[in-house]
Amino acid sequence: MAQDESSPSTGAQAGVVVSSDGYLGAISSTASTDSSSGSGDVAIEIRNLVKRYRNVITREWVNAVNDISLDVQQGEIFGFLGPNGAGKTTTIKALLGLIFPDSGKISVLGQEPGNNAVKAKISYLPESPYFYEHMSAKDIIVFYASLFGLDARERSKRADYLIDLVGLTSAGNKPLRAFSKGMLQRVGIAQSLINDPKILFFDEPTSGLDPIAHRDIRDLILHLRTEGRTLFLSSHQLSDVELVCDRVSILYRGKIRKIGRVDELVIGGNVEILAVDLKTTPALTKEITALGATVEVSGPETLIVGGSDNDGKNALIDLVRRNGGQLVSVTPTRRTLEDIFIETVREGEVEAGEATRFAEASTAEALEIK
Amino acid sequence: MGTVITLAQGTFGEAVRRKILNIFLIVALAMIGLYFAFTSFSAREDLTITLSTGLGVISLAGVFISVILGINLVPSEIEKRTIYTILSKPVRRHEFLLGKYFGGLLTVFVNIALMGMVFIVLVWVKTKSTDNAVWEGVVLIFFQMMLLSSVAILFSVFVSPFVNFFLTFSVYLLGSMSSVTESLATQNSHKNPITTAFFAVIHFIIPNFGNFNIQNPIIHPDIQVQNMGAYMAQTIIYGILYSAIMLLTAIVIFEKREV
Repeated sequence: MAQDESSPSTGAQAGVVVSSDGYLGAISSTASTDSSSGSGDVAIEIRNLVKRYRNVITREWVNAVNDISLDVQQGEIFGFLGPNGAGKTTTIKALLGLIFPDSGKISVLGQEPGNNAVKAKISYLPESPYFYEHMSAKDIIVFYASLFGLDARERSKRADYLIDLVGLTSAGNKPLRAFSKGMLQRVGIAQSLINDPKILFFDEPTSGLDPIAHRDIRDLILHLRTEGRTLFLSSHQLSDVELVCDRVSILYRGKIRKIGRVDELVIGGNVEILAVDLKTTPALTKEITALGATVEVSGPETLIVGGSDNDGKNALIDLVRRNGGQLVSVTPTRRTLEDIFIETVREGEVEAGEATRFAEASTAEALEIK
Repeated sequence: MGTVITLAQGTFGEAVRRKILNIFLIVALAMIGLYFAFTSFSAREDLTITLSTGLGVISLAGVFISVILGINLVPSEIEKRTIYTILSKPVRRHEFLLGKYFGGLLTVFVNIALMGMVFIVLVWVKTKSTDNAVWEGVVLIFFQMMLLSSVAILFSVFVSPFVNFFLTFSVYLLGSMSSVTESLATQNSHKNPITTAFFAVIHFIIPNFGNFNIQNPIIHPDIQVQNMGAYMAQTIIYGILYSAIMLLTAIVIFEKREV
């Protein structure tokens, strides 16, 4: 059910407030047809994208983005991850038509990026956005709304609604120079929703925010997900990404090192086998460790962790059964996205022969263990 | 057109609050005011020096305001990343550039109009008479600054503000000495054809800023314009056409520029 635009959500001061039906209906009816998320239509298509820059000092060409290909489906929340300098913002700028690829093909909603028909359906929130400081929050939303050709009455109504939506009602008429970083980020989110976008590009939307503002922005992203919008999210907040994203890709030095569904990536290759009454003789322990697994005995319970592939898992389960053990549970181990990220970047660094950061980390870990 | 106006309004709002530009305006107003406060007007010939001083101050402040504003219009948007939120909306690059230019030009207009009005009022208070040369001089200064702003914004799309500052000032100085470059390009004493060709190219490319100073009797003591209306129209059209060429060139470069 569409919320009446003339009566937007109120009492939004504590945080981002969204109506139960989503604000889409309050602004336009067009997006509701697209909000049948995961329709299978491709929202973003990147094929063999290459973007090179010349190092101003060495005069050498560097591939900021090096032959990346990916698809983002409509209605998908896609996490675009990577350490600083991996090529995330460069890719986003290419998707927005702000920079031009050296080779490869980009398509946004089936069209080349940068033309006005596409730009009318997308939005962008840059990292740490800056706005004309002499304007108030309402002025700036009206300013951006007029770039979409909306008439004065519609601009004003939409500005009021969006300011309320992002929890800035009481500060709506104050100049932006008096705003905190979190408040400016809310203004940034509000301006990104003016045109009821089908695709949102968010670059570090929670960067530098206090925990409350951080949570509010994350909640808004979660809400955008329920509305069936496509979100292309670049963020270092991996716990947020894990929570909100359907799929992620991890970039390192302009190349996609890993891409997949979050739930598939975080499932570790190992299993935890909990058994009782297992006769853990030294010979059995030797057999288990030979399979690359670990054994931990606690009273009648034995916990075996290992089996990175199916054969290994079956071999471990067979061993338990053959030695009189009763299986209590077999649980796949779960890693965090942070584990995956660090592992991927570490692999990339080792490949590039520059394992400095993680060598230090390993030393720290080693000291902690000692 | 609506997009250009919106962007121009935003640019104007930002520019009129820039402290450094306000300082130039205040200093110029103070100089004009002090000049009138400490000068006694006894004879008609005093207007010559008054006109030169007033127009000179307005012109100098106008140059600083136009250059400092013009060289930063586009780079500051890139530096502060406002350009990303604007160009990711349905805004074409030429609309963005024109919006920035006209917003800056409106700022220059307001500044020169303020200085001009104060000058005209003070001349009237002191002499109890009006002279067309006063307002004609102010109008020509505005169009001179329009041309200078277009030069500054052209350079701003491909060089840094620091380089642009010197580049635009150099163009202004060379353009203000147009008669010198013209004589260097044409006089027969020059035996070297390369030197002659060089000055010919300079004279052809660099806009003639000197023509806009015609009402300043110290800069042009020997020139008497017979038909001031026709001269002004011709000079203003020259300024508009030259500015249009500068802007078109800027647009062509900016369309290809990565931001």
